[in-house]
Amino acid sequence: MIPIEAMRDMTPEALNSMREALGLNDPFLIRYFRWLIGVLQGDFGYSFASGVAIKDLVLDRLPATLELSLFALLLSTIIGTFFGTISALKRGSAIDNSFTVFGMLGVSIPEFIFGLLAIVLFSLQLKWFPVGGRLMPGYETFWDHLPHLILPASVLSLIMTAGVMRYTRSSMLDSMNREFIKTARSKGIPEWRVNFLHGFRVALIPVIVLIGFRLPMLIGGTVIIEQVFQWPGVGEQFVLAVRGRNYPLIMMIAFLSVNAVLIASFLIDLLTALLDPRVKLE
Amino acid sequence: METSINKKTSLDRKFDKLRELEETGKSRKGIQNRALRKMLSNKLAVIGLVFVSIVIVASIIAPLICKYDPQKVNLRMILKPPSSEHILGTDKVGRDVYARIIYGGRISILVGLGSALGAALIGVSIGAYTGYRGGWIDSLILRISEIVMAFPQIILVLLLVAILGQSLMNLMVIFTLTGWGGLFRMTRAQMLSLREEEYVQALQAFGLSSFRISFKHVLPNALGPIMVNITLSTAMFILQEAGLSFLGLGVPLNIPTWGNILNVAIDLRILEDFWWVWMPVAVMISLFVLGINFIGDGLRDSTDPSLQG
Repeated sequence: MIPIEAMRDMTPEALNSMREALGLNDPFLIRYFRWLIGVLQGDFGYSFASGVAIKDLVLDRLPATLELSLFALLLSTIIGTFFGTISALKRGSAIDNSFTVFGMLGVSIPEFIFGLLAIVLFSLQLKWFPVGGRLMPGYETFWDHLPHLILPASVLSLIMTAGVMRYTRSSMLDSMNREFIKTARSKGIPEWRVNFLHGFRVALIPVIVLIGFRLPMLIGGTVIIEQVFQWPGVGEQFVLAVRGRNYPLIMMIAFLSVNAVLIASFLIDLLTALLDPRVKLE
Repeated sequence: METSINKKTSLDRKFDKLRELEETGKSRKGIQNRALRKMLSNKLAVIGLVFVSIVIVASIIAPLICKYDPQKVNLRMILKPPSSEHILGTDKVGRDVYARIIYGGRISILVGLGSALGAALIGVSIGAYTGYRGGWIDSLILRISEIVMAFPQIILVLLLVAILGQSLMNLMVIFTLTGWGGLFRMTRAQMLSLREEEYVQALQAFGLSSFRISFKHVLPNALGPIMVNITLSTAMFILQEAGLSFLGLGVPLNIPTWGNILNVAIDLRILEDFWWVWMPVAVMISLFVLGINFIGDGLRDSTDPSLQG
């Protein structure tokens, strides 16, 4: 890193020769391809703030984010499909209505408000969980930071559950109205088998697609929650990078999340072809 | 068997009542527009509409209903709890929280509604024309919208904030640029199915220009889902503004918005001991967005022909 004083006292000639040496005077396209070739070789450049290689910075943060979001994804999928199915089977009942209201609240209340409420209730009042952070010096195993993980992961999954639930409900209602359910019932199969082995299996296909679309959230979806709980992940790093206009870092994280989206949509295509016999891969 | 035929179900009774009304000519009274009538019979949508209208009116007439200037610092009144003088107390530099919430609504609603309308203007006008015409322009814009939508929304928004800088105008431009893709694709899909209708062929036979056909004759039939989408986008942009301002990267901090008022809650001391600084605005955002979502759902139920009952 060049100290600020050195940059301030630079003569225009020295500045120009420096720009020349760093390749900043080249046309835009050449600079772009230089960056792209670097990326393909695994070189994402260096942080403006610390001079450390960007790749190391992000790889350092990635496990924390993946831990948080995988946990939340798993939790919200299980809870969301479960409650969504019940909601569909008991359509119109009090349970169904209360789940629907819950789903509506889940999409209307900003995630960080859920986070703040959780902190006030469980960390400050009841003192069950630590307020934020992930690791304390000297405590580095998974079990040591599990108490730190529970609150942010639950809040994140609460938000995601609402969507999964609404989706499962409508998909389940759709599949329970199909002909094969009537066939199954007329064969005298017990009702729970009809519901879970016949209806649920078909209803699951669109839900799996939805979860596939959630995969990119693994990197992009935790930005705000990480900030609320001071979780040292990629999202928090991204916010810091935006505040400090640390462009190489911003580019790398954006690059990562776009790739996550592309890979996820490819996986969804493969998965639907695998699950739904009507779809054929050409 | 006999009884089941003679017994009138509740549906039969409903039909009888309707027939009676029709014969006596009473059914023609009231609101003629079917969509509007259906919307008004949806309780949640009406509650949402009333609440949202009250908040919008309150923020427009803010100077009339607030005693205090939302920006006026009063160091003698720091973090005072709600009292008869300050209905919702004061924040950490002594500004009236109630006035800040009402004035903050102006900016938050402006950002939400303005961005949604901006995104609709771009998305709908391009989608209506290229969806009807097709061809290479259509595929080109489709690819562009796919590029925009490949980014997780918050990453793209923050990326643009880093490039364009923080200001109210920039924020609305950024939301418009990141949000038009959804509306474009939806309008386009509607146009693709509507352009196969016979009346469109008739218009083509009359020799009307494709510009006229797409905007004047086909687009009005696609307005229902577009309105629903605009409503839900407004809710989404208000949530995003709040999230961004909470990160300190939204509207500049000196302008009161709902997100900026909430921004102070990251301080644990305020979070724990001074609930009146952040709780009322948190409730306000949530109820307002909930209200808009109710309106959106009501609109969907009343305009979607597949849900007509």
